[in-house]
Amino acid sequence: MTVLFIGGAYQGKAALARERYPELPLVQGLHLQVRQVLEAGGDPSALLPGLLGKVVACDELGCGVVPVDPFEDRWREETGRLCCALAAQADAVYRVWAGIPQRIK
Amino acid sequence: MLIVVAGGAASGKSEHAERLLCEAAPPGQRLYVAAMQPFGEAARRRIERHRALRAGKGFDTVERYTDLAGFVPTRRYEGVLLECLPNLLANELFSPEGAGEDAAQTVEDGVSALASRCGTLIVVTGELFSDGRAYPPETMRYLHLLAGLGRALAARADAAYESVCGILCPVGEGGAR
Repeated sequence: MTVLFIGGAYQGKAALARERYPELPLVQGLHLQVRQVLEAGGDPSALLPGLLGKVVACDELGCGVVPVDPFEDRWREETGRLCCALAAQADAVYRVWAGIPQRIK
Repeated sequence: MLIVVAGGAASGKSEHAERLLCEAAPPGQRLYVAAMQPFGEAARRRIERHRALRAGKGFDTVERYTDLAGFVPTRRYEGVLLECLPNLLANELFSPEGAGEDAAQTVEDGVSALASRCGTLIVVTGELFSDGRAYPPETMRYLHLLAGLGRALAARADAAYESVCGILCPVGEGGAR
């Protein structure tokens, strides 16, 4: 089973992930992993297989002004694309706002 | 029929907008109005990606960066997809050939005119309002105008959606309004 918790920073995604899916390994801060991969010159989409069978928490980065810095722009883009790919394969997707989860898949 | 599809960057909004348009209009009746100007590497990459997504889906494509109200398609299309509102407003506000002070009204009038020329208009828009940052005054003004446009469009739309991680979420009380 694969589950994705998405939402703004500090909204309680990981706490909800632990509470609702204690049996699944938790991956926290996927957006930071994506950044590390990009900084190392890698391809973040390669992270996808390793996320299956886990509960994943990721900050939603895409809801702001397009960054002027190309790297920041790319980070946002790659994180969004990876989340789309993960959500497509996930059994459940939750969007968390102020600790309140909304199941969108 | 007016449908608004919103979403953050890389949220899958374009795919959903295309799919909705394909449901609303048969092949040969689909027009894509592209507002993004091919300035810079990132913009060119995005345009290429969108082109690849549309390939084989029976869309005619036209580039229109400003003065949408003055755009008359060469023939009538049942379905028109406008991508996207943030680009269109930026062009009107910041381009030398744009409407400047009248940017927001020009975009709103343009969307109305385009809607009157087709059966279903789908407008793609961006969710740019939630990074909590303060930008220079001209950017804040742009965000303010874009948000106002979004509200005006959503108020008259037959349906409004937000794409989240590629999942299309109806917006409004009790689902799609």
